[in-house]
Amino acid sequence: MTLKFKKSYIKNYFTLLGRNEYNVNIKVDKKLEDYYNFEKSIEIAEASFQINSIKGVLKKENLKEKDINVLIGGDLQNQILASNFSARKFSIPFLGLYSACSTFTESLLIGAMLTNMGVDNIIVTTSSHNLVSEKQFRFPIEYGSLKKKINTFTSTGSVSALLTNQKTNIKIESATIGNVIDIGYSDVNNMGAAMTPAAAKTIYDHLNDTNRSVDYYDLILTGDLGIYGINILKDYLKKEYKITKGNFIDAGSILYDTNVTKKIAGGSGPTCLPLVLFSKILKQNYKKILLVGTGSLHSKLSANINESIPAISHAISLEVIK
Amino acid sequence: MKLKEYQKIVNKNIKQENKIFNALISFLIGGLIGLLGQVFVTILENKFYMPLSECYMYLMILLVTISSVLTGLGIFDEIVSFCKCGLIIPTTGFAHSMTSAAMDNNEEGLIKGIGSNIFKLTGSIILYGITIAFFLALLKGVIM
Repeated sequence: MTLKFKKSYIKNYFTLLGRNEYNVNIKVDKKLEDYYNFEKSIEIAEASFQINSIKGVLKKENLKEKDINVLIGGDLQNQILASNFSARKFSIPFLGLYSACSTFTESLLIGAMLTNMGVDNIIVTTSSHNLVSEKQFRFPIEYGSLKKKINTFTSTGSVSALLTNQKTNIKIESATIGNVIDIGYSDVNNMGAAMTPAAAKTIYDHLNDTNRSVDYYDLILTGDLGIYGINILKDYLKKEYKITKGNFIDAGSILYDTNVTKKIAGGSGPTCLPLVLFSKILKQNYKKILLVGTGSLHSKLSANINESIPAISHAISLEVIK
Repeated sequence: MKLKEYQKIVNKNIKQENKIFNALISFLIGGLIGLLGQVFVTILENKFYMPLSECYMYLMILLVTISSVLTGLGIFDEIVSFCKCGLIIPTTGFAHSMTSAAMDNNEEGLIKGIGSNIFKLTGSIILYGITIAFFLALLKGVIM
């Protein structure tokens, strides 16, 4: 389902990068080079990243908490703990979302719907923490689990964006709510391949609903499919939906230095897409961008009982006016 | 699209692991640990005149201590991800998984954190190790 927005704009954003084991080649607003950030546990540290990024965006725009109507956020933790813990620090009405690594696009989508209805200021936020994800979805942190080349590395950081209904130079033009797609793929190491069918379906639905060809977009930025996943997506789009053209870039595959890709397949996590979008893509000359956030909705339990991986993807069409 | 067809697209695009190389590394490292262990045991037996069973016990203590301390220092996971099963299958792997699981839940306290989580990964080794040992001992009793 595709929604069109008349008055939804992104006014400002704040990008925060935590510690990442690999070299990140983007410029961010703030860096916190400690996994713990002086908190007693990594889960709380992730919340503190979010608090920092929300405060950052408030400071950038000289706004107070009471000026913000709604805070929308989510992360990868169980019971979206980091978002709940950061929301308790602010007296702003809060909506918590979980959509795995597509959380940011889902938050943007709901934020855009609200601004289109006339809500003035909305902050959407997300965060991810490498160690928390390792602990929750894979093995204990210090356990030397065997990293495959197809594994992606959950990026550590947090991004907040301020949405408004007053005109700015980044417009949220439309958005497509994606289906949960499961074609029976079950390799949790290869998340890119697990999420590709969902991304392809959402791209196809979006183009179909808006009557556009894939060339309409200067760039289709997918969330965290990784360096192999993006090629799988191109092949899959060709075979299944007969979409052959289009300029595709995957945020996960360009987040880290290129020599990292010999070891891993790139970055992942809900912060991966907004980090690359705000710190890199928006500074280049793209006018029409389709954001395709992808999330894999599995858990440790679902993998243990041999269930296949359900995946979701939401698309946001951005128009940059220069 | 059927899963089989999709699997073909996936396999075409991903990089496969070099299984032979990994197996070779594991074989060499595992063998090296075996060799060093044997040297240690021989030295204890011949220079310090210890009974053989005690030598093996001290060897176990040494391996477990080294891998636990290195895990605690945060180095061992990188060594393991290079050496792979060469370090996981010997008793070093057992100590490593126990220590890492305990470190993970350190903040949750001694009982609910470390105590209830330390055997998260190694529980199956203990359970099935003891079960199999029981049946093997039974078999030995029947045969002899």
